[in-house]
Amino acid sequence: MSYMIGVDVGGTFTDLSVFNTQTEQIFNYKLSSTPQDPSQAIVTGIETLLGLLGMQAEQISYLAHGTTVATNALIEKKGARIGIITTEGLKDLMEIGWQKRPNLYDLLRPKAQSIVPAGLKCEVPERILCDGSVKTPLDERAAIRVIRYLKKQKVQAIAVCTLFSYLNPVHENRLKELIREHFPEAYVSVSHELVHEFREYSRMSTTALNAYLGPVMKEYVRHFEESVKKVGVKVSPYVTQSNGSIISISETIDCPIKTAVSGPSAGVIGAAYLGGLCGLPNIITFDMGGTSIDVSLIEDGKPQLSNERLVEGYPARIPMIDIITLGAGGGSIARIDEGGALKVGPQSAGATPGPACYMRGGVNPCVTDANILLGKLNQKKILGGRMEVDLELAKQAIQTCICDRSSLSLPEAAAGIISVVNSNMMRAIRIVSVERGYDARDFALMAFGGAGPLHACEVAEELGIRKVLIPPNPGTLCSLGLLMADTRFDLSRSRIMLAQPENIPAINTVLQEMIEEGSDLLDREKIPAAQRSFSASVDARYERQNYEINIPLREPAVTEEILGEAIQQFHAAHEKNFGYSNEAFHVQLVNFRLSAVGEVEKPALVCKPLEPDAALPAPQEIRQVLFVGEKDYISTPVYHRDGFVPGLQAEGPMIIEQMDCTTVIPPHWSIFTDGYLNLHVNYKGGEEQ
Amino acid sequence: MSTKRNPVDPVTVEIVGNLMLSIAEETCLSIIKSAYSTNIKERRDVSAAVVGPEGDLVAQADYLPIHLNAFLTFIPYIYQHFDRAKIRPGDMFIGNDPYHGGGNHLPDIVVAMPVFGDGAIIGWVVNMAHHSDIGGMVPGSTSSYADSIFQEGIRIPVIRICNEGKLNEDVFQLLLGNTRVREEREGDLTAQISSNRVGARRMEEAFAKYGDRLTACMEELQNYSERRLRAAIASVADGVYSYTDYLDDGGDNSPDPQTISVDIRISGDSIVFDFSKTCKQLKAPLNISYNTLLASCFYSLKALFGADIPATSGIFRVFEVVAPKGSLVNPIDPAPLGLTINAAQRLPDVIFGALAEVASERVLAGCNSTCQTTVFTREDPRHPGNTLICHEAIAGGSGASRHADGLSAVQVHMTNTSNMPIEAMETEFPILMIKKYSLRTDSGGAGEFRGGLGIDREFEMLLDGIQCKATGDRQKFAPYGLEGGRDGATGAFFREMDGARTRLPGKSTGNRMEKGEILVALTPGSGGYGDPLRRPPEKVLDDVADGYVSVEAARDQYKVAVNRDSDGICTLDVEATRALRAAVR
Repeated sequence: MSYMIGVDVGGTFTDLSVFNTQTEQIFNYKLSSTPQDPSQAIVTGIETLLGLLGMQAEQISYLAHGTTVATNALIEKKGARIGIITTEGLKDLMEIGWQKRPNLYDLLRPKAQSIVPAGLKCEVPERILCDGSVKTPLDERAAIRVIRYLKKQKVQAIAVCTLFSYLNPVHENRLKELIREHFPEAYVSVSHELVHEFREYSRMSTTALNAYLGPVMKEYVRHFEESVKKVGVKVSPYVTQSNGSIISISETIDCPIKTAVSGPSAGVIGAAYLGGLCGLPNIITFDMGGTSIDVSLIEDGKPQLSNERLVEGYPARIPMIDIITLGAGGGSIARIDEGGALKVGPQSAGATPGPACYMRGGVNPCVTDANILLGKLNQKKILGGRMEVDLELAKQAIQTCICDRSSLSLPEAAAGIISVVNSNMMRAIRIVSVERGYDARDFALMAFGGAGPLHACEVAEELGIRKVLIPPNPGTLCSLGLLMADTRFDLSRSRIMLAQPENIPAINTVLQEMIEEGSDLLDREKIPAAQRSFSASVDARYERQNYEINIPLREPAVTEEILGEAIQQFHAAHEKNFGYSNEAFHVQLVNFRLSAVGEVEKPALVCKPLEPDAALPAPQEIRQVLFVGEKDYISTPVYHRDGFVPGLQAEGPMIIEQMDCTTVIPPHWSIFTDGYLNLHVNYKGGEEQ
Repeated sequence: MSTKRNPVDPVTVEIVGNLMLSIAEETCLSIIKSAYSTNIKERRDVSAAVVGPEGDLVAQADYLPIHLNAFLTFIPYIYQHFDRAKIRPGDMFIGNDPYHGGGNHLPDIVVAMPVFGDGAIIGWVVNMAHHSDIGGMVPGSTSSYADSIFQEGIRIPVIRICNEGKLNEDVFQLLLGNTRVREEREGDLTAQISSNRVGARRMEEAFAKYGDRLTACMEELQNYSERRLRAAIASVADGVYSYTDYLDDGGDNSPDPQTISVDIRISGDSIVFDFSKTCKQLKAPLNISYNTLLASCFYSLKALFGADIPATSGIFRVFEVVAPKGSLVNPIDPAPLGLTINAAQRLPDVIFGALAEVASERVLAGCNSTCQTTVFTREDPRHPGNTLICHEAIAGGSGASRHADGLSAVQVHMTNTSNMPIEAMETEFPILMIKKYSLRTDSGGAGEFRGGLGIDREFEMLLDGIQCKATGDRQKFAPYGLEGGRDGATGAFFREMDGARTRLPGKSTGNRMEKGEILVALTPGSGGYGDPLRRPPEKVLDDVADGYVSVEAARDQYKVAVNRDSDGICTLDVEATRALRAAVR
């Protein structure tokens, strides 16, 4: 018998999901986070679980952990003191960036705060040209002078990024050697090792961010590793990456930037997994919490990846799950603006003072206050009864800040707050669907996070989405997702060439190089050969275009036939994405990509048989609830989710409460509980399961 | 509680406002996705809008401020020249002539489609895209030598391009016959036409859902913009505020400095921009069409008084523009307009300058306010017979404010396009090598808040016989400082061979350059804000360490003594600084 544990550390709570490989049961546990040292809550959580489940530490066969240490270091600007070494003439590249101002009309909006202290951006004479040839050899004496200067300046980490290093890394490699020799204690991050692609600003920025996080992350994961060892855990723990996969501690130390936006990615992996179990491969995830909502799209069971994203204002060119985050959550503040319009968010009341109803001194009306007034949330105690709320304070805040400044009555104002925040969230869904060429109506909405299931059905109805899926424990989908992750390395190389048969040897050289790198990385992760797979793709474009489409390659070794297929696929994809294609144009290959996947053992969730006579439990109470689009409050039964058994079918309206979440089923929606205890919510008697 | 109700409530207005904006955005994105040309796909030189049944702008999606209000006159122009009763579902209108209902200059082609509900026009979906070539005297249509709009491409009066859903092939072929890149035009125009259908369908869905409330909301959205803008202007003291700045020159035909001047009259909650003292129209394509003038004024109001005030016709109930016929800002047909951006960039600078005292919270000191551009052309060494054209707009400084230093190396005001990465540029144009791409030391005007820095960009020629064109402005008239802040540096172009530099004129073409020669582009910085003596010495030290300010400028302008040791480490000489600062107080 063994146990697998996923731990998701959030700002407020640390969630643990445990899978017992023998009983095939999942157990979830939640405790307060310890922001000073996040590993403290993890250790406490594991110890508590050992007691609760009567298990031994050595029975833990798997431990994966999603961390926000890198994210927080970036937000709080608590990274290392770093220096940059680059090609002569380019020291200000981090400041120049794309030459764009951050906002078209808000001219006081600052550029991102610099992560490189004054005077620590250094240049060395060297130059490589676009064909990889050396125009000016590296001036080693100047390089040593610069390294000594940075040492004297007491930097903790150095980022090295020179032009065209992705084609010829000779100067970057030499700089790394010189740093090792003259300043061995410095953490070094080298651009071509991290990003093998052209576009120097994105590469330099990624390298600088990585150096900035390196020393911080190193200290944290080492400490974490020791802490769990002390409890008696024998396995070495994994850390989640932003692409939704898991990596070892040592890999985390080398590439901390890969964890920088990993927070919400585990939830998407969990959603993809549950969707697969229920036969729903096409899903839009709707993960709403207290301050923000994360939305992403899963097609054919695969989360969509993006290759670049802004992290605290700087581009990070690291493959990551394409997640759109918007400032809309339970704590989002509602107000009437100078022009008389009702606005909600992005400002948030946070956890303190929080919504007015929390009785912590908050006076601004929040989304949570509106939900309480409308009867959607429990009007006495929320969070499974752990937190008292005051309906009167919610009313007062809405009356003072909204009703007194508009023509709206109290219920109209509360319903208005929900309608407006829903319409904001619809924008996030439109970004991941319509703007990427998908029709949202072809997808099911999977709602999770503390507030997702509260809003999901009403948002779905507005968008024409007819199916909403609520997992058994919407508040802990991230820690569940951590049990479902594989190890994966997404590698890339920029090699710009035409898609012509004479280039096949060159293509295969690049692919082979990446297969070798991927194999080395999987070796380091101790993944057995049988559990490995490699898949290759290429970013292609018509010659002279400046944007690319990713095209999968059938095999990671190209023949004339496979290349021909890829070219045809490119024309078709261009037609689909951009409305035209032209077989007379030359197709250019730009970036080659390889995913090296190491499959990790995963829990198999059990599907319980449906109970033929499943019936609703007795309601906890009958509450007056005002739904979007309804004129009046409706008497609505409130149930506890614990009483829902497989096979249960019923019609809305109803409210379903559970420990960390409340689900709202409006009129015209029906529910069905499946064998995994997922709640399928269908619009107007949508098709039976 | 009051029982008096508006026809539509604040919630519906917010939600319908979101919806209208999303329809405009979806139309815009649909063009970007399906267009052919880089200009539309990459630079996003495209806008779309929802217009009310009477031709009022209701919501607009835009990526460049110069497109603001590009749609103000188009639908009213249709109503003036066509029988409204004969406008049918599926009709579409096209036009590009700024003198007759169109956008900023001829390459901006507008396509508009009426949307019907219950048999009547309930609104319009309109979009505009910048086309890379529509004929004219040079490839790309806009030549700096044009002295008439007839040299700048085909003029399309407002006419039908579709009749009841059917493309007017004759008109379409006429347009395609007037471009150098027929296939690209066909793709781009088709994208504009089909995207309008996407937007119109979404409008019909909205009408099905909201019925007459939709048109009521459209009206209310304009009222909303009007209220927001009036509230902001009412907070400014009544009075007349003026400012004058100068363009370096008006091209070869008018080599002297050209006046750009504004008198702004604020009374209660309305505002008048009077450009009567601005120079006469030029025999150079720097003239500013009336639409562009309105866009520049509205851009300035948004920047100064409320970045999120939506672009609707409501704002034009608040401000008025006085621009004498025949002036730079209201030229007479057929004055050329092709490079209007270069002059339009200066309008926000004079508006900001005029309102500096009364909008001191949000105003910026003078910005680089040009569009400094280099174009290199040569036969492609890899493909003889093909011509390489490498076009690059180089950013500069953005003015300091009373809150912060100016931004360095950004595009300001009416544009915000990005650079091309060096590694992409050199790969595509292996005739050039970038030797330097850095911030320009001492180009930001000194001040308590330092002006943003310009750029020092050096292009080395890797082959003989490269033709170079270099154009810019603010090479004679510096970006102004405010409240004791110093002016920023002016820009300049040099050619350099073996270390010897020769200055080029501000606008030059046909410079033949040889292997090893270097073109140096120094872009203007921007003005500082406040007395430089009030800048904390630690900040000056950081600027010196970063190379943004020289040791000499730190001493002379900021009265801060910085020492640099043999290792290059900079330290503050506290005593010497105290003495320097005491001496001037």
